[in-house]
Formats: sequence, C-alpha cells, structure tokens
Amino acid sequence: MAWEERGGKLYYYQSERDETGKVRKRYVGSGEVAELIAHADATIQRVREERREKDREELEHMQNRIFQVLELDEAVEAVMRAHLTCAGFHRHKGEWRRGRKKT
Amino acid sequence: MGARRLETLELPELEKVGEKVGVRERIRELQSLSEKAEGGDEEARKELRRAVRQSTPEVVARCSDIARNYRKSLAKTASGGVPYVEEAFVRRAELLAEEVAGENPSPLESLLAERIASLWALTELQEALLSGYYGGLSKNLSPTFLIQMSKLQESTNRRYLNAIKTLAQVRKLQGGTPAFQVNTQINLG
Repeated sequence: MAWEERGGKLYYYQSERDETGKVRKRYVGSGEVAELIAHADATIQRVREERREKDREELEHMQNRIFQVLELDEAVEAVMRAHLTCAGFHRHKGEWRRGRKKT
Repeated sequence: MGARRLETLELPELEKVGEKVGVRERIRELQSLSEKAEGGDEEARKELRRAVRQSTPEVVARCSDIARNYRKSLAKTASGGVPYVEEAFVRRAELLAEEVAGENPSPLESLLAERIASLWALTELQEALLSGYYGGLSKNLSPTFLIQMSKLQESTNRRYLNAIKTLAQVRKLQGGTPAFQVNTQINLG
C-alpha cells in the first residue's frame, strides 16, 4: 500500500497478488476517500502484525516449556543408560536387551 | 547428541542452587562412560559402576526436584492463576508419579515415573490450550500458528508415550516387576 505523487497530487495504490502470484499495484483513488481507505489498510496491517507477534510469543513460550522437559528427558536417559549398561544390558537397534557381553 | 543438547540448554533450577556444573558434569560423565562401556571398554564399565554408585542418588534427587518445579510452573500456566486449580494440577501429577512408580520403586523407576508425570502435565496443558484455540476462546488465530501448536503437541505426545514404554521396558528387563497397564484417553471435540 502506498501513496504516489503525480503532477503535485497524491494517489493511493494497493498491492495485491494476481492469479499467477505476481504482486500488482491497484489504483484506489485520491482525496478524502483514499485517505480513509489508506487509514483502514494501515489499521488492518497493524492488527495483523500484532497478531503475528502475539502468536510468535505464545509459540516461543510453549517451545521453552518443551525445551525444559527435553533437558530433563536427556538427563533421565543418561541415568537410565548408565544403570542398564552397568547391569549388563546392551542396546540393539534402539531396544535394550539382556547382556550378551561379559560384565 | 545428548551431550550437545545439555551444552546448549539451561538448567535454571540447578543454577539457582549453585549445583549446575556438578550435576551436569556428572550426567556428562555418565554419558561418556556409558558410550565407552557399550563399545566394550571394560575399564570404562568398572568406572561407570563407580560413577553410578556415587552420583546416582544426587542426580536422581536433583532431576526429581527439577521435574517437580517444572510441573509447578506448568500448573501455573494451566490454571490461569486460579490457586485451587493450580494445586489440583500439581497434586494430580504427583499422584500419577507415585502411582506409576509403584511400591518400593528403585531410584531409576522413580526418576522414570517423574519424567512420565512431567510429560503428562505438558500434554495436558497443550491439550487444554489447543481445545481453547479450536473452541474459539482466542479468536483470530492464524492457521500457521495452529499447525505449529499441533505439531508441538504431537511431538510431546510421542515423547510421553515413549517414556511410558521405556519404564515398562526397564521393568521387564529388571524382572520380577508388576504388570504395567497404560490407559490412554483421547478426547475429541
């Protein structure tokens, strides 16, 4: 969305994608009506950005929660692996099995 | 891979009490010795036995503390600031951990049960959030956001089910353990 000056007068254009995906300029108008539309466009844009920001924050918050549990997971895995290895178990294709090796 | 993740992530609860390096180092030591022992290094296996004997009680205790603190913080989010809901959430997770651990659990079983309870708490929170989103509590959510949240929930669910499977497997390997039954309920709509 942009204003363009031609011959000392301001004209308002909107950007939109056509059916091939290319961005095209579309003439909206000039004067008070164009100003109203431009104001509405700016508000829509701001609301969209705020929503994106809120979504991003919420996702980040959830990802942090998951990272915390991943860390715990990691520590538990290490302790479990050490215990089972000590007890003479071994892993075969990701599955723990009874001792094959001498302990 | 495990060591790399421990490198990059924070252990806030451990940091608070100034034991961060100690416990983290012990976990790394266990990882490294386990790798060598699995590769057939008998010296490493002896060393691993010593390390497990020495460090397990502390590591288990610290990890259990972390799990409990983690669940408390999840409860805070899940309850939306309502104290009795928060308390009920924490208590339910504790009961689950106790129930899953069973009577006279080994330290390893306790630890695995704590992990299951923590993952349960996370899946509950994610489920509640997602039903809120789909139910229209938060309007104007973008489809991309919902897809990403669903993916995170799927990943947590997988991890949760895997943690249950691991405990069952450990019990089977250790032998003479009671049967372990898992009931999974999926609420749709």
